[in-house]
Amino acid sequence: MTPTEARLRIPAELDRLADVRRMVRETTRAAGASQDCVDDICQAVDEAATNTIVHGYRGGPGWVEVAVAVDGPDVVVTIEDAAPTFDPRTHAEPDMAVSALVRGPHGMGVHLMRLATDRLGWRPRDGGGNILTLVRTLAQRPQED
Amino acid sequence: MALATTVEQVDGPPPVTVVTLDGELDGATYERVIDIVRQAYEAGARKLVLDCSKLEFVSSSGLVAVHSAMRIMRGEAAPDLEQGWEALRAIRDEVDAGNVQSNLRLAGEQDGVRKVLDRTGLGPLLPSYPDRASAIASF
Repeated sequence: MTPTEARLRIPAELDRLADVRRMVRETTRAAGASQDCVDDICQAVDEAATNTIVHGYRGGPGWVEVAVAVDGPDVVVTIEDAAPTFDPRTHAEPDMAVSALVRGPHGMGVHLMRLATDRLGWRPRDGGGNILTLVRTLAQRPQED
Repeated sequence: MALATTVEQVDGPPPVTVVTLDGELDGATYERVIDIVRQAYEAGARKLVLDCSKLEFVSSSGLVAVHSAMRIMRGEAAPDLEQGWEALRAIRDEVDAGNVQSNLRLAGEQDGVRKVLDRTGLGPLLPSYPDRASAIASF
């Protein structure tokens, strides 16, 4: 098991997203992540949590729990919720043009989530909901085209 | 971190309105930015600089605000947020059309914000300057 560095559960409210980003930022910085990684993983977590709050719970009550762990050269973030199931991998095609990706309400967020991470995992949560896993190398990436 | 905003008029010619975004532009704060730009336009602003030098973060919802500002400054209606985040579809159309902006300019955005603009295709549509002074002088 990868030791969890930090964990935070918030109510499904958009004005709590800043708390999640702060936790992810501080934890990854403390683990020695590059600024590039800190920016990317904050982005990916924000997009995932925003999608859950807006499209999963549809503004209704709920919760989102974010756990950050460091596994060797990677940061691994697990995002859990009890919202209706949504597998973002089915909405993200890595090599499609931007114009084709921005389809439907999840489009842009999933696109950014995909570009900001190295691996995206998903499984249903026991009892309902989603468990999303985001993996990103701590190191700086080579320059994007 | 929340988002603090200031609006400043700079005498011309041409007169330029500078909106400074200080903090994080996300799902909780983006609608406020749309309101600020709309109010500025209604008050007569026709050249607008978004000073992003203190902007630490922008999410896809923040991009909806940037795109709305583009439309408002062209004299068009902002996408209807009541339609949910369908507003993001309109960004796709904007990118497809290659609508480079003439009345809205960015100043001083940090690397993380620049990365998000470029990843979504919006970046090339928005003239960008290293700081607010050069953005103002560009009009």
